[in-house]
Amino acid sequence: MEPRKLKQDYWSYVMRQFKKNKRALIAAWMLFILLFVAVFADFIANEKPIAFKDETGWHFPIIKEYGVDLGLTKWPLKWSNINWSNQDFEQSIYPLVPYSPTTQDYNNAQFAGPFDDQDVSSTRWRHWLGTEALGRDVLSAMIHGTRIAFMVGLVSMFLATLIGILLGAVAGYYGDDRLKYSRAGIIMGLILLVPAYFYSFQSRSHLMSKAIGDSFLQFFLQIFISIFLFVGFILLAWILSRPLTKIKWLGQKVSMPIDILVQRLIEVLVSIPRLFLIIAIVAIAKPSIILVMAVIGLTSWTEIARFIRAELLKVRNLEYVEAAQALGYSNLRIMMKHAIPNSISPVLIAVAFGIASAVLVEGFLSFIGIGIPPEVLTWGKLLSLSRSAPWWFAIAPGFAIFLMVTLFNLLGEGLTDAMDPRQKK
Amino acid sequence: MLKYIFKRILIFIPTLFVISLVTFMLSVSVPGDPVEQILGGGGSAGEIGQSSSKLASERSYIDKRKELGLDLPIFYFSLSNQATPDTLYKIHRKPHKENLERLIQSYGNWPQIEKYYLSVQQLELAIADLAPDSLNADAKIGMRDEMFVLFNQDHPKQINSSLNKMKVYMGKAPSMQTIRSEYDEVVSNYQAILQEATPNKNYIPSIHFYGANNQYHQWIVKFVVGDFGISYQDGRPVKEVLWKAVGRTLLISILSIILTYLIAVPIGVLSAKNKNSTTDQIITTVLFILYSLPSFWVATLLITFFGGGDFFDWFPTYGLGNEDDGFWVKAHHLVLPLFCWTYGGLAFVSRQMRGSMINSLSQDYIRTSKAKGVSESGVLWKHAFKNSLLPIITLFASVFPLAISGSIVLEIIFSIPGMGKLAFDALGARNYPVVYTVVMFSAVVTMLGYLVADICYALVDPRISYSSKK
Repeated sequence: MEPRKLKQDYWSYVMRQFKKNKRALIAAWMLFILLFVAVFADFIANEKPIAFKDETGWHFPIIKEYGVDLGLTKWPLKWSNINWSNQDFEQSIYPLVPYSPTTQDYNNAQFAGPFDDQDVSSTRWRHWLGTEALGRDVLSAMIHGTRIAFMVGLVSMFLATLIGILLGAVAGYYGDDRLKYSRAGIIMGLILLVPAYFYSFQSRSHLMSKAIGDSFLQFFLQIFISIFLFVGFILLAWILSRPLTKIKWLGQKVSMPIDILVQRLIEVLVSIPRLFLIIAIVAIAKPSIILVMAVIGLTSWTEIARFIRAELLKVRNLEYVEAAQALGYSNLRIMMKHAIPNSISPVLIAVAFGIASAVLVEGFLSFIGIGIPPEVLTWGKLLSLSRSAPWWFAIAPGFAIFLMVTLFNLLGEGLTDAMDPRQKK
Repeated sequence: MLKYIFKRILIFIPTLFVISLVTFMLSVSVPGDPVEQILGGGGSAGEIGQSSSKLASERSYIDKRKELGLDLPIFYFSLSNQATPDTLYKIHRKPHKENLERLIQSYGNWPQIEKYYLSVQQLELAIADLAPDSLNADAKIGMRDEMFVLFNQDHPKQINSSLNKMKVYMGKAPSMQTIRSEYDEVVSNYQAILQEATPNKNYIPSIHFYGANNQYHQWIVKFVVGDFGISYQDGRPVKEVLWKAVGRTLLISILSIILTYLIAVPIGVLSAKNKNSTTDQIITTVLFILYSLPSFWVATLLITFFGGGDFFDWFPTYGLGNEDDGFWVKAHHLVLPLFCWTYGGLAFVSRQMRGSMINSLSQDYIRTSKAKGVSESGVLWKHAFKNSLLPIITLFASVFPLAISGSIVLEIIFSIPGMGKLAFDALGARNYPVVYTVVMFSAVVTMLGYLVADICYALVDPRISYSSKK
């Protein structure tokens, strides 16, 4: 038999190296399991049955609830105020944990412990991790908390990566000398900056602060409109400056010190204690998970930007970039298609560690009761409840945060090793 | 080199300027009214008393506000719209101002809104002046609650319902009829807002310039010459408050850094010596787990298990003891916080140590000294160890600012009145002078720390040079 040919490109090589690292591989698999729990939390821990059959046929209340939340359908009258736990359906499939995080079990309120005798009809209904003061099931809250932890980690780091790559790449590739723009364009842009800010952000601020409280979709829609308007103003500035470039002095191109600007911005962000900055911003607005994610994202892009900048500083003088320039490709295309993809790998590492730290920050914020709305139970909030609870209450939520942080740290480690050519085995 | 340092310090100035702007804007935007916080009064609607005492409390409010300089415009200029008057900053109560802003946002007609606000104030005074009698006591309390709604709500539903409720209260006692005219004034002014609405004015920008007589200017000018102001909470100079807090944070940070180095350096050497052995792997794993343990969880567990929860009552979990307590009492207080401060950094330092030790052990001079018969420990400690210490020492410069500012989490949990807790509490209490000062201080320390770290790297590693930048 012929030996199987190994793919020789960079990413297959990294994957192979990564797979050799047992710890990181296990971490990756456990993260997949946690992600599964997060995505399907509603089907794992819920007071409603996944499916049940009555005289009118099969029904799927959990799926229906998604429709209701999106405003697509409505609950039939007979289900709108129903106690799901003691129904007698012909056939029914209940989730693994028959409690929603909001279900209150009055028989087992006031911290019924996992080792205590609980007032439940069968082991099926046992609270495996106990209950909190109002009788809400801890295990169910933990399962649904996985979703929030993942969301905070992924969304905030997605935002941070976007900003980091954009600013880092621009600063690194253009440096202080390569980005040239006509004087007319710069002056026009500066003039239009005021109305651009006014119309796209200031006069819309009340809409945005309302949308933050409403829903994800609303908020992103509003942000998108704002950014769209802002870009529109910049385009307008460009169009208006076209005729002015005919005048010689105004038409001359000057280089913009974009690298210095980005560097100073990073310095400002790094110099203010990050946690304090986050607490201060979060304290301004109404508590909302979206805000927490946005703020964590907006304060954690500096590391990624530094990586990308350093890489592109090297890359921009390499032969293949010069070759692309000689072939007449635009700077944007060279950056997007060649320079950034070739220097993206350290970013992955920073993202893995960044998610770990975002989970930690969110945990701490809800631990001290800032930023997360009171009705949402997160791991951090569960942990904060433990101050007035029996000892076992502090174990599970803290361990969950620890596990998540460790797994992402291990993933980051594994990626570091896999991408390090010196580690070749 | 000197040129480089000079350049870096020169660059600090714009950065610090931006940081001062950011902190200033952030702390001013935190909702709540510092003046009310100081005077300790609730909302104006909750107070009981005649209009004279009401006016007196209003007077003291205005005086206090003036004394703190909060009656000035916030910044040199403001970008706003045609609907918003440039004198809005003169409205003294912050919640009222915010409510008026919301009204302007929806209706855009300041003259009408101003009239409405003045008439609501008149009504408040009239209610306060009502002579108490047996019939109107309940109605008066009810009226006051509704006043609070008028001052703080902007939604027509809420305003109308509270105006209707007032009508009911006024019917309850004959003496209430004396405030009828003020009430009618409010109703008609509110109707005027609704009918003569010009919301489009919100979309015409306008810029107002206020000149140097503004809050930011007043603060930054004093700050530059070292006058940090007075803490709102206890009236002490911020400088004094800050130095006390810095002292406590420094005490714990330095102790914990020393402990970290004392423990982590030998561990790093040990695992470098037995590179890739079982010992090395166990050490790495344990340190990795410690590194990933959330400090607020560990602190909570330690307090639960050793701080007099369900188990042992071995250690105090609150503060650092009194000032006149003896050494052992203070040390006793320090045990749990120090543990939490230290364990996370172990992995970081020992990994650096391991890395640089492995690097030195693979050098040629190590082989040479082994070949000439230097003992195992001699090679390890005399030759390799000495040469791998330098990068660890330079680490110190970057660890130090983190230790100064990164202590918010543990200081809050253990109630240690250091920098982190000071800043956190000040933010919650709208104690602006303390917030600015703490943030500026830690920003300066952080930037100096990075500068020192960069200089150290250059001193240690001759390959790094800052002077010849292309």
